[in-house]
Amino acid sequence: MHALEILGLTKSYSKTHALRGVDLTIPCGEFFGLLGPNGAGKTTLINSIVGLVRPNAGTVLVMGHNIQKNPMEAKRFIGLSPQEININNYFPIGKIMEFQGGFYGLSIKESKMRAEALLKHFCLWEKRKGGRYQLSGGMQRRLMIARALMGKPKILILDEPTAGIDVELRHELWEFLKGLNADGTTILLTTHYIEEAEILCERVGIISHGKIVACDTPRELIAKHRLPPDMDRQDKFKFIRPGSLEEIFVTLTGEKK
Amino acid sequence: MNGYTTLVRLEFFRFWRLIRQTIFPPILTTFLYILIFGFSLGSRIQEMHGFSFILYIIPGLTAMGVMNNAFSNTSTSLYMAKFDQSLDNILASPVTPLAIVTALVTGGIIRGLLIGSITLLVSLPLLKQPLYSFWLTLFFLVLQSIFFGCWGIIGALRAKVWDNLATTQTFIITPLVYLGGVFYAIELLPPFWRKISLFNPLFYMVDGTRYGVLGIHETSLWCSAGLTMLFAFGFFGLCVFLFQKGYRLVR
Repeated sequence: MHALEILGLTKSYSKTHALRGVDLTIPCGEFFGLLGPNGAGKTTLINSIVGLVRPNAGTVLVMGHNIQKNPMEAKRFIGLSPQEININNYFPIGKIMEFQGGFYGLSIKESKMRAEALLKHFCLWEKRKGGRYQLSGGMQRRLMIARALMGKPKILILDEPTAGIDVELRHELWEFLKGLNADGTTILLTTHYIEEAEILCERVGIISHGKIVACDTPRELIAKHRLPPDMDRQDKFKFIRPGSLEEIFVTLTGEKK
Repeated sequence: MNGYTTLVRLEFFRFWRLIRQTIFPPILTTFLYILIFGFSLGSRIQEMHGFSFILYIIPGLTAMGVMNNAFSNTSTSLYMAKFDQSLDNILASPVTPLAIVTALVTGGIIRGLLIGSITLLVSLPLLKQPLYSFWLTLFFLVLQSIFFGCWGIIGALRAKVWDNLATTQTFIITPLVYLGGVFYAIELLPPFWRKISLFNPLFYMVDGTRYGVLGIHETSLWCSAGLTMLFAFGFFGLCVFLFQKGYRLVR
């Protein structure tokens, strides 16, 4: 069974075509990276997977369950850490984690135990009694990931999870995600750090103007799309290492990161 | 724990944490009404249906507290969840639209009944008699809080800015409550205004509550009960429908 199966997904907002027939399959247990410039359709695609966006056409199957027709079954498998910080302003973060467990059917005791373990892991335990605004940007980002893990998801969706996180913590997070993936969790990651996708992901999809323009392992993408070494390189490739995934990204999307 | 019980805990935690904004002000306002309209001005007004003016207005004030607080609770909770986007987190979780609406309304009922109960408890020494019918009082107060809780949900779904909610409360709910017979019997109105008052659904809710507390009513009890149920369950059904359709929730 595939963790995610997306077929012909189309979404328009008035005159803007956010998604133009996206087809994508992610097998169970894969670490998949989704790269794309701003406005390429990454967040719309993710929001369609979790049911926050209603597509105009196409199908999203989560572990075989159609998100439109059978949303409750499909959502059970997903943990989402969105791009925008969407933490309740009223509550201490310990409560936020506890409530999140409840949404996924965990008992109060189970929620408290899991919240404690995750908050300790993400170095947020000392802050559990404080509110969102007592956390730095990086801490809020870590809280979002910890919250996404409360429901023991089979598929973890991370929309730019390392934005605003310092290098040391980013590397720790990479280790954690690798471990999680090794334990069988399917991970869909969007990021603006291309080296992050190169290091972590088994396969990478590049989305541009609402379409997946390439999808393969980083090594295969580089092999297929790299520019000839003797080519006269334009300005936009000036600071890019030849033969890197970043070069492929710029080639395929026409944008310099 | 399922989605519903978690959301009810969340709702209770929210308004209890903000007790100085959610509980104390409406209680203070109700007591000021009793003090001013009951003791101060009320002593100059003759008996109504055999009760002193202060006793006559207590059921209406109770109903008014329940209505305003049920509306405030659901509308504020949902609007703020939209504002800080934490609602998206709930919508992306495996919680059904029915569970979300029922939990929000339950929060409204709890807060509404808390205010209503405190008003009635403090007023009991004035009544010098038990409630005429505890169950009928509870029936009307619960249905009112369902109706106003749902109204708050619809208001918050529609609201684009905070002003939209404040406008609903100031220009629609408050006039309807005041003109619903909280402070007077509609039989005292001129015939034209009496007829107009009969189109105000809040009149039936206040009248039913007054029957539950004092045992007096101006219109048929069955009519009051039927209309109150119709509005409460009709609005509840509408809220569930709007959530299922993702009205202003799903992009």
